[in-house]
This record gives sequence, C-alpha cells and structure tokens, in this order.
Amino acid sequence: MSIIENKSDERLLWSRFLNGDDQVLSLIYLQYSNSLFDYGCRFTVDKHLVKDCIQEVFCTLIRTRKNLSSTDNIRLYLLQSLKRRILRDLKSAGSKSMLINDQEYSFDLLLTENLDDHLRELDEEKRELLAGAMLSLTDRQKEAIYLRFNKGLEYEEISFLLNLNYQSARALIHRAIEKLRDVIHLQEKKVSQILFAILFNDSKAVL
Amino acid sequence: MDKYKDYSAIDFLEDSNFLRWLNEPTQEDHDFWNEYVKKHPSQKAKIKEATLLFNLFHSSENKLALPEQYELWKAIQSESQTSAKEVFIRILKYAAVLVLVFLSGAVSYYMYQNAVERNQYQLAEINPVVNGEAMVILADGSKVSLDKQMSEISYSTNGRQLIVNNDTITQKAVTMKESMNKVIVSYGKKSMVLLSDGTKVWLNAGSQLVYPAVFLKDTREVALVGEAFFDVVKNPQKPFIVKAADVSVQVLGTRFDISAYPEDKVIQTVLEEGKINLKYSGDGIFKRDYVVEMVPNQMVEFDKISREANSSTVNVSKFVSWKDGMLEFEKVNLYKALKQVERFYNIQILLEDQSIGSYKLSGKLDLKDEPEKVLNVIKLTVPIDWQRKSNGDFIVFKK
Repeated sequence: MSIIENKSDERLLWSRFLNGDDQVLSLIYLQYSNSLFDYGCRFTVDKHLVKDCIQEVFCTLIRTRKNLSSTDNIRLYLLQSLKRRILRDLKSAGSKSMLINDQEYSFDLLLTENLDDHLRELDEEKRELLAGAMLSLTDRQKEAIYLRFNKGLEYEEISFLLNLNYQSARALIHRAIEKLRDVIHLQEKKVSQILFAILFNDSKAVL
Repeated sequence: MDKYKDYSAIDFLEDSNFLRWLNEPTQEDHDFWNEYVKKHPSQKAKIKEATLLFNLFHSSENKLALPEQYELWKAIQSESQTSAKEVFIRILKYAAVLVLVFLSGAVSYYMYQNAVERNQYQLAEINPVVNGEAMVILADGSKVSLDKQMSEISYSTNGRQLIVNNDTITQKAVTMKESMNKVIVSYGKKSMVLLSDGTKVWLNAGSQLVYPAVFLKDTREVALVGEAFFDVVKNPQKPFIVKAADVSVQVLGTRFDISAYPEDKVIQTVLEEGKINLKYSGDGIFKRDYVVEMVPNQMVEFDKISREANSSTVNVSKFVSWKDGMLEFEKVNLYKALKQVERFYNIQILLEDQSIGSYKLSGKLDLKDEPEKVLNVIKLTVPIDWQRKSNGDFIVFKK
C-alpha cells in the first residue's frame, strides 16, 4: 500500500513540495502518517499526544518549507521532528519523578506478541529463553532494532536519530541480533553434544 | 551474487538489499532472492534463520483508523490554510487594483475560484471512505443510507426524483445552478448509479462519485475517487468529463473503467469501446497539459509522482469483471490480488512473510462467495494457507 515505491519517487515528491506544489502534500501525508503514528506510539501510550505532535510536525513542515533543502531526507526529517516533539511534550507533562532526557526514555517494541505469532514450531523452553533475551534488550537497542527492521532505515539514518556515531549504532544492533541468535543456536549445540556423547559411548563400546 | 556466498544469518541481516526484500520488496527484489535461493541451496538455511530473526524483531504496527487519519489531515489543512489564506487575500487586494486598471474583475474572480476548487479537491481526494458508511448525499445535505451489498440508484430525467433500491425520493426543484449529489460506497459494498442523462456508473468498493442531479452546463462533469466503470450515453453536444485526481477523461459516448484510489500510486484507465481523451498535466515548471487519445483495449497508467503516462494493450474483461461480481487474474502478483479482495470484502489480509506477495495468480474468483471460500480457491493455485486471527484479520502464510 505504498505510494512511494523507491528513493527516486521520494526525491521527486520532496522537490515538488519544496517548489510550492501543495497537491503533493496529501501524498506525503498519506505515505508517512501511519508510519509516524506507529513510531510515536513506541514512546508513549498517549495516542492523543502522538496525533497532536504529528499535526505540529506537518504544520511546521509547511511553514518552514523555504528553509528546507532538496537534499534533505524527507522521512528522516519527519521521524526526527516527531521524536523531538514527543520527548519535549513528555518532559513538560511528566512529573518530576519521571526524568526524561534525550538519552533516557522508554521504547516499546511489542516483542512478546511477536513470539506467539512466529514461533509456533518452537518448544516451550526455547520460547521462554527467547522471551528472556528479548526483554533484556535496552530501550536504545529496541529503538535501533525497530528503525532497522520495521522502518528499514540505513545505519547512517539510525545513528542520526539516536544521536550516535555510525559504528555505535551498528554495534548496538549487531549485539542484539547475536543475543537472540545464540538462543536459537543453543538447542542445536545441545543436540550435537548429545550426538557426540552417543558416538563417543558407541566407540567406547566397540573398543 | 557471489558476495553472499559465505554470509551468516547476521551478515544477511546487515545487508540492506536483504532487508528491503523482507520489509518493502520490489518486484526485482523478489526475483533476485528467489533466484538466489534456487541457485545457492546451501545458503537456504542461513536465509531462513535470518528471516526468523527478522520476524522476531519486526513488530506489528499501530495504525490510524481511516476516519482518524482523515480528521488529522483536516486539522493540518485548516491550521496551515488560515495563514495561507490571509496572505492570499492580501495579494489579491493588490492584484485587484492592477486587474481593475488593466483587465476586468473577472480574472481575479477566476483566480480565486480556482484556488478554492483546488483546496476542496484536495480534501475530496484524501477523504477516505469510512467503514460501513455507504450513502447518497443530496444537494441539501440530506443523506440516504445504502445498506445493501449492491445498491441501485437511478435518477429521473429532470433530476428531481431518484429511486434508491426500491424507495423513491424527491429532491427540491432544480434551479439554474447544478445541484450536486454524491454517492459514497464503503469497502465491502458496490453500487450502480443511473444518472439523469441515462449514463450508467458502476462504483467499486471504497469509491465516491460526485455528480449533478441534472446536467445543465455545456459539459456533463462528474468527479471520482476510487474505481468506477462508465457506460456513457452518447451526446456530441454535451461531452462527458470524469475528473479523477490528477487526470480527466473526456468522452462523447463509450464504455471505460477508471481506477483512482488515493492509496494507489497510479491512476489506471481502461477503454472498452469508443474513443476517449485522457488529459493530465505533466512535470516541470510549466505543467504543460498532455492529451492521450485512447483506443479500445488500451490501458493508460498515470504515475502520480513522476506525472508520466504509460500505455499498453490489455484484455479489457480482466479489468471490468469486478462489476459483475468476479475478479479475473492473469499472472497477477498475489499481493495485488489480495488487495482487491480486501477492498471488496472490507477485511484485512496480512502476509506473514512479504515474499509470499510475489506468487503469480491466474484464474477467476467469484466474489459472491464468502471471503473464506475465496481464500480457499486461491489456496488451490498457490502454495499458501490462511488462518483467522482473534481480531478477525486474516493471516496468510507459506505452506
């Protein structure tokens, strides 16, 4: 259900908007509003706040059109302004005990729901291990993973949104994948250990 | 292709091309990776593992409901337009002075009208069809709901009486101005409208048509959002014009289909018989108008983003079979076919794995059956199976 199918479409749409074509704004909105809404809902359960922030993001976009350049990455621009606004609003609305700064906020990845959907074939023990491993991911890791696997962003883009350098963003995601892969491999290792033990016993028997 | 030879699951997940295939695949991505797995069976397990990890990390999306998405857009529009309108009126004041000196006031009126029409139009384009809300809206704003699966609406020649299914409704006497009526057909429904000039319009699920109760101008103009098949009564004195988002189609008398859903990238026009002129404005500073003269069995696809039109010869029956409650496919991507099924039944069909979408589907689907039966028919031709989630959505997975 994508209006924009590739990067050149995105560039074209963006440059047309910057040149004052208001018609394309509705296409930009249709393309990105759901994606923005989803990203926003990861920071807070307050859906009204997310919607208000999306409205502000688009109004600012229209107002500041002249100051934007055609090299800007439209999606990244929208994601970043939404995140900034939501964190700002959460900070001002939050009580003193709730400390939110640029590096400290919660991010929800709905991981446990996923376990049930995709791991029908896995056994109980492994599922519990996977759930444990996923819960142990940090909020920053969750956000990086979300941007990579849900939004398909490049590492450069992720590092920009997370305010990290390229290498750190990459390492953040790499470690998270490794953690889960090790759990999946755990079982296989067990199987091969058992096989080895059997073979070893057999050879002893032969001897 | 060789660079993937020694890739581990993690390496695959770090590759942007691989991720795009799992996330938002293009046809090329499907072709490339299906071919790759075929040629390198040794890497199949690694790809499977990478896909599993991807699925674990990929969480389902929070979505705005269509009415919510529309409300939010209206709020953005009205907030940004109040400031734009003030500027416009200020400019208009200066312009009006000049115009009065050099020309007549008609020009500024025209300019203003044009700007207003454009704004209204944008709203119409994005206004999605709210669930379950199928209705006719008359010129005075009164609404007649359409509760049938397939509604029939017909107008008398003077436009004052209309019959909705079996009920006759009388509108106020039509004055000099054309009084506009609107039909909204929600997802899961269809409708046939017989206009006052005898023209028949079949509206597909999730579509809207705006038209005058009786045609008083030199041209017969209607506006469409969504998909409709037109069987236009010939009248050389009064050409029939369909306005659909970025294109307009001018005809004298013929049969053709236009599909212009806001969420689709292209506007597709297919001509069954007669002759039509398809008009669109192209790219560039001057936005030059282009006209394509279409012949029967021709399809023109207008790309809303690049503003280019592509023409091809097609078998028309596949594109218009929906009006008879059938869907016909020939080597169509499963993704595209399921999208049509979704619209028709007003259901959500999720793909567990995006690569399923590239299966090619051929055959006919009878849409008089329940969606479950339709999915079972699809199941016979491509290796998939489906389940119903607790929220009523359908999920399709590889068998």
